[in-house]
Amino acid sequence: MLAHFWVAFAAFLGAIVLGEWQMFVRSPLANWVNNPEHYYRSVTAHGTVMAYVLPTLVAMGFGYALSELALKRPLIGLKWAWAGFWLVIAGTAVAAVTMALGKASVLYTFYPPMVGSPFYYIGVVLVVVGSWIWVALMGVNLHAWKKENPGRTVPLAMFGNVAGAYLWAWTSVGAALEILLLILPASLGLVDTINAGLARVFFSWTLHAIVYFWLMPAYIMFYAVVPRAIGGRLYSDTMGRVAFVLFLVFSMPIGIHHLFADPQVGAGFKFVHAAMTAMVSVPTLLTVFTIVASVEIAARLRGGKGLFGWVKALPWDHPMMLAVTFSFIMLGFGGAGGIINMSYQLNETVHNTQWVTGHFHLIFAGAIVIMYFMAAYELWPQLTGCGPLPKGLMKLQLWLWFVGMMVLSMPWHWVGLLGMPRRMAYYDYSHPDIAPQAWTVIASTIGGFILVISAFILVWILASAHRRPKVTPQAFTFSAPTHPVTHTPPLLNGFALWVAMMIGLTLVNYGFPIYQLASLEHASVPVIPIGSR
Amino acid sequence: MDTWSFRNPGFRWTVTALAVFTAAAILVGFVWLPSVHGDFSARGLWDAICRAAGVPASWSSPKDGKAAPGETVVVLERTMTKTAPSDAVGRGATLALNCTMCHGAQGMSASNAPNLAGQYPEVVIKQMLDYKAGHRSSTIMEALARALSEADIRDIAAYYAYLPKARTAPTTYDENLPALVRVGDPLRNIAPCISCHGGVDQKIGTPWIEGMPKEYLVAQLRAFKAGTRRNDAQAQMRNMVRAMTDQEIDDVATFYARKASAGEGH
Repeated sequence: MLAHFWVAFAAFLGAIVLGEWQMFVRSPLANWVNNPEHYYRSVTAHGTVMAYVLPTLVAMGFGYALSELALKRPLIGLKWAWAGFWLVIAGTAVAAVTMALGKASVLYTFYPPMVGSPFYYIGVVLVVVGSWIWVALMGVNLHAWKKENPGRTVPLAMFGNVAGAYLWAWTSVGAALEILLLILPASLGLVDTINAGLARVFFSWTLHAIVYFWLMPAYIMFYAVVPRAIGGRLYSDTMGRVAFVLFLVFSMPIGIHHLFADPQVGAGFKFVHAAMTAMVSVPTLLTVFTIVASVEIAARLRGGKGLFGWVKALPWDHPMMLAVTFSFIMLGFGGAGGIINMSYQLNETVHNTQWVTGHFHLIFAGAIVIMYFMAAYELWPQLTGCGPLPKGLMKLQLWLWFVGMMVLSMPWHWVGLLGMPRRMAYYDYSHPDIAPQAWTVIASTIGGFILVISAFILVWILASAHRRPKVTPQAFTFSAPTHPVTHTPPLLNGFALWVAMMIGLTLVNYGFPIYQLASLEHASVPVIPIGSR
Repeated sequence: MDTWSFRNPGFRWTVTALAVFTAAAILVGFVWLPSVHGDFSARGLWDAICRAAGVPASWSSPKDGKAAPGETVVVLERTMTKTAPSDAVGRGATLALNCTMCHGAQGMSASNAPNLAGQYPEVVIKQMLDYKAGHRSSTIMEALARALSEADIRDIAAYYAYLPKARTAPTTYDENLPALVRVGDPLRNIAPCISCHGGVDQKIGTPWIEGMPKEYLVAQLRAFKAGTRRNDAQAQMRNMVRAMTDQEIDDVATFYARKASAGEGH
């Protein structure tokens, strides 16, 4: 577990420095980047680490920890877990070397007909295969526990964890099919053309639900740890289960909202995907309601009174309180922006602009990653026996992350509305039309710099913990619900129905577009090899 | 009670709700919304549903279905970029005797025809196939290309790829390069020359233009701009040059034609 977190945060540290470099060279503070290919190489590395390596390793490490802590039994398949870990490491290394050589500057979304070196894709596949081992182990461990405890309710933390694992197993199939059937043959030089439209549809299968795989550890923190950490009770255990299964059902078959501007997909499917995307806001709103109610319980237990007076009674000096507040503020702005993105018409205004970059940084790098930090802070005393971590530094780190992320992403939203495209290596700020936007890029650069400082503090806190004298950690507990769980409907204690619904909806929403594009004649276009000469 | 049964109210409600929601979304997306769009509903309900599914009964009306003359049909394959064996180079050298009048004895043109020495093989293959099919126009080149087989064309390409280039290194980034060559003009959607023609990247099918005769470069850029040359498969050159002024065309052509090696012309 420790190994997973350390590799995740080490990669994170490298990638965040790359991200800040990108912001800096694109701002008026620096000369135009010498070579735009270097910029895209850096964007590819930043995206690949932040989107695949960091969340996969955190979900795996956190998942193993949850399995042991929530089920109170040692992990089954420890050797397999190590095998999965080394596969992820090997994949990361192979992909990293390929990217560093400039052989795969295709961005982490690797949209064909751009095609990079096969080693890059093989690296990504190894990371995904490593994570599939984790998926299988989570299922096996839950099954073994259920066998030993027939009729008992699965602890909420483990329920969410396995929901995330099953979601990932199905969601990663899209990109896996894209790479194995379409990209690798082209990348290896076996074919010279590629069905780019079909490839993009396959990728959209993965592209949206992957976001909810990233989000699951944060939501598990919300439900299973936050109320306990701030001295409250979880308002409703059942609500947590409902939120997790809704994610399982609805996060999958909605990815075509990433293809609103793509001509190869019919308008009817775009509408259906938009409508189902709207449904994903339901579990998030349920979560916000439940967690705010849980927080209110904590305040009232501490003597808070009045309609809003209880807010003052909250344990504001507790890092977890700060983190959950920051996370919800960023989730609020990011979520509102997301509803704009998923609306078929409103999306036209912001499609492929900096708005989108702002949106996913706010909601993933902001709301979700700040909870990854808290997961590490919560687990560290358990894993290293280091005793309590320094509160002041932790709060400083969280404040810097929140302020930095807001300063980084709010200007992006603004210029996105003005029409600034994303994925540009440079802008001509001397041009009178965009000179007024130059300050926003400087602001984002400053925001990025604050984030880099915060990341270094994070790593320092975690690293220095290893040097502290060992103490026996207190037993780890999860939040207790307000009302003891006496009865959980069997449907909310297992996954069979929800996984069946997820697969069924996928067939309804993706079956025809995939069949149609795959059977269309003359749908392939020549590949554009990147970095081949 | 059996979990997987419609007698279980939880199962019944969940499955029914999802089915009703999905059906409603499909009805709105495939029937109701298309019905308010004239171009979707013009040919009845079934056609509207097909269009919403991304499968119109016909992909375009006959009026705008006219074949675009002059577009290329050559697909650039990576096998075209391979270094050819020496016998192919030899055959190509013999065939290329026909080309020397304009392109020079060693592929370095003394007139304003393009230099072919060191040109990438797939570039020569593509242009010759386009001439042969009438997709690029030139009275002389079309007639010459028609007489050649595809194997002949590959041999000639192999021969020219084998000859040493006029200048051996591509332009690399340096602050003194003209802005269009170095960074393009993002606001006008003009990509930098060096992102395809060598320097930052060398894309397949993109010619080596270092040391080309200026008049040739200017003429080609003007032809792309006017749309009289249109064998760039993705319209990449037409789109780049459309926004360029005559002065800018002259500037980049001057830049690429500059300081060719001492061997220029012979």
